[in-house]
Amino acid sequence: MGPLIPQEIIAEGWNFFIAFVVGVGFGFVLEQAGFSSSRKLAGVFYGYDTVVLKVFFTAAVTAMLGLLYFSLFDWIDLNLVWVNPTFLWSAIIGGVIMGAGFIIGGYCPGTSVCALSIGKIDAMIFFGGIFIGIFLFGETYAIIKPLYMAEYLGNIKLSDVLGISQGTLAFFVIIAALVMFYVAEIAEKNFPRKEY
Amino acid sequence: MLTLKRLTAILFGLGLVIAFVPENTTKPYKLSAADMLTEVQFGTQMVSPDELADWLINKDPSIQLIDIRTPKEYEQFHLEGALNIPLSKILDDEWVDYVNQGIKMNIFYSNGTTLSQEAWMLTRQLGYENNYVLQGGLNYWTETILNPSAPSLFSADDEIAKYEFRKGASQYFGGGGVKSSTSQAKSKASKPKIKRKKKKKAPQGGC
Repeated sequence: MGPLIPQEIIAEGWNFFIAFVVGVGFGFVLEQAGFSSSRKLAGVFYGYDTVVLKVFFTAAVTAMLGLLYFSLFDWIDLNLVWVNPTFLWSAIIGGVIMGAGFIIGGYCPGTSVCALSIGKIDAMIFFGGIFIGIFLFGETYAIIKPLYMAEYLGNIKLSDVLGISQGTLAFFVIIAALVMFYVAEIAEKNFPRKEY
Repeated sequence: MLTLKRLTAILFGLGLVIAFVPENTTKPYKLSAADMLTEVQFGTQMVSPDELADWLINKDPSIQLIDIRTPKEYEQFHLEGALNIPLSKILDDEWVDYVNQGIKMNIFYSNGTTLSQEAWMLTRQLGYENNYVLQGGLNYWTETILNPSAPSLFSADDEIAKYEFRKGASQYFGGGGVKSSTSQAKSKASKPKIKRKKKKKAPQGGC
């Protein structure tokens, strides 16, 4: 039966409303989990606080298992679920820039808005930086475009590239996530730091 | 640590099950006649000339034009970047990798729509995805994009906006139908500014 909007079980006009509700919920959860502290995100890099890693990997694994089980029970048609198109170089370079930004600024775009809304000054500056980045990107787009569009791979999935079934890949992702959780626990013990 | 152990047990168990069940058990390889009828009625395979012009001008890398007509017709005139796969050869092994793939958006076109619709029907019936049909074919392309006709003075704003877009596109593709209006001469040198429309896809998200 799902996904609900592409199958027109829910009208498309509801898209923004649902996005709004989910967005508010997402922001609330981020704030409640303490992600509006820049130390939380920077902590992943230095190893003293790995909550962000755990939360996002738990979310990814939950969503992945949910989708695969839903598909198994024929509750959702995975072919209709949007897969982000892959532009390989954009992904690599963008990932490096974004990662560096996480370490330097201590926020991801989402958590910066959370922190901004509870009045953190560093988040306001970070948020301003986002717009400077957008402006620079827009102004230099003509120069960047060949690189930005390079290595277009379409809406591919990792399981297609590796030639294994989605379920098998999911299993490996779960193993990887669990290993990471254990490593994170050890890291937190080895690099303790006072909670602010 | 106890919660982590419990989490490990649950995730490992669920992962193990999903790793060994066959995926997409209910997905039909071939479409049923009823499914085809629904798709045809909704016209989901149709791409309008305006959409196509927009993508071509923006050099969208995900577009692959496929000319369904005979090689002779293809040599006389074809859209830039189009592959020639005559209808009679559409099921050949030589072309199967082009028409059955998940990367690009194939747009079939012929002079009208008969041939391209037939090609689409054949490939869709086999369960191939990402194949689309240029609405109205080359005839309608010439009529709307290369030689757009001006709307009447009392047309709605979006009609006029559409015409403005087509005028720009016509210049881009080297059509002959653009005359009048003084600003044209100036803008001829630069690429027409056309806003990129979003393709019909689900919304994206991120952190």
